[in-house]
Amino acid sequence: MSIAADLLRGHTDTIILARLMDSDNYGYEINKSILQRTGGDYELKEATLYTAFRRLEQAGCISSYWGDEQTGARRRYYSITTAGRDTYNSLISEWKVAKKMIDSLIETEDKQ
Amino acid sequence: MQDNFRRYIDGLFAETTPTKKSVELKEEMIQNLHDKYNDLISDGKTEEAAYNIAIAGVGDISSLLAELEKDTEPYVPDIQEYEKARQRSALFTSIAVMMYILSILPIIILSLLDIYRADIVGVPVMFLMIAGATGLLIYNSMTKPKFYKSSNSMVEDFRKWQTDEKDRKALRRALSSALWAIILALYFIISFMTFAWYMTWIIFVIGFMIEALINVVFTLARGGGK
Repeated sequence: MSIAADLLRGHTDTIILARLMDSDNYGYEINKSILQRTGGDYELKEATLYTAFRRLEQAGCISSYWGDEQTGARRRYYSITTAGRDTYNSLISEWKVAKKMIDSLIETEDKQ
Repeated sequence: MQDNFRRYIDGLFAETTPTKKSVELKEEMIQNLHDKYNDLISDGKTEEAAYNIAIAGVGDISSLLAELEKDTEPYVPDIQEYEKARQRSALFTSIAVMMYILSILPIIILSLLDIYRADIVGVPVMFLMIAGATGLLIYNSMTKPKFYKSSNSMVEDFRKWQTDEKDRKALRRALSSALWAIILALYFIISFMTFAWYMTWIIFVIGFMIEALINVVFTLARGGGK
């Protein structure tokens, strides 16, 4: 798992932006959906999550606000900006190029 | 359990200077840990296991804290305005307390002067002063400046929420102190007028009941308003 985790770590920003494409969300829910999507195999450390939020917010990719829950719980929600959507799209196309490149580099002829 | 998380996060942040950003991050982390904990509990984990799993997920936040240290924006801005409001509030409170104390004077002076039926003038004057002082206290606690949302900052939003809570407590305290001043005054007036000392203590019992009622009203109002 550690190799996959290393690979995934390089795409933390893309992963978080992807979670925000559909709707605004808060830290724990974002991490929970990452855990669910990977079948319980991968979860961001909170330190990584908050560092990424901070970095993305400074870069203008996301913005945050405090939610207005009835129960007294105060959650900080994140929402993706237009710049964030652009960043996401370019990260995705970069990844597709890289993936193709890696595939062609690591596959061998005698595979079949 | 929220307290345990708070204590843990406070420990992690112990070395940092409290800036706007770090206070926000702390609240965010505590709330998220708490949500995670609740989820783990409903998945059937024991309290201890849920707590440990939640804490284990935090990871190493030292570089994040180092980043935060670069922020110098202080947590409490606008001290000057706050200070001015505090002084005004202190003045109002002192005037109100003075009026409470002095309200008994007209009766004492008039009866010392041996004027016939001194209580006819003295009692209404006393009640007027008590009413004025109570009004002043209530006005004071209601007009104490809240932190206006001058920007969209989340911290101010959060602080406003905190001061709203504090305002409610202040109003309750003001009402309570006014109530007891009136009860004490009533006790002496009625006792001196009727000389029924053996039963006037009931006034205090009624006072407790009124205070309990006020508490109920406040609790209900908060439950409904939030």
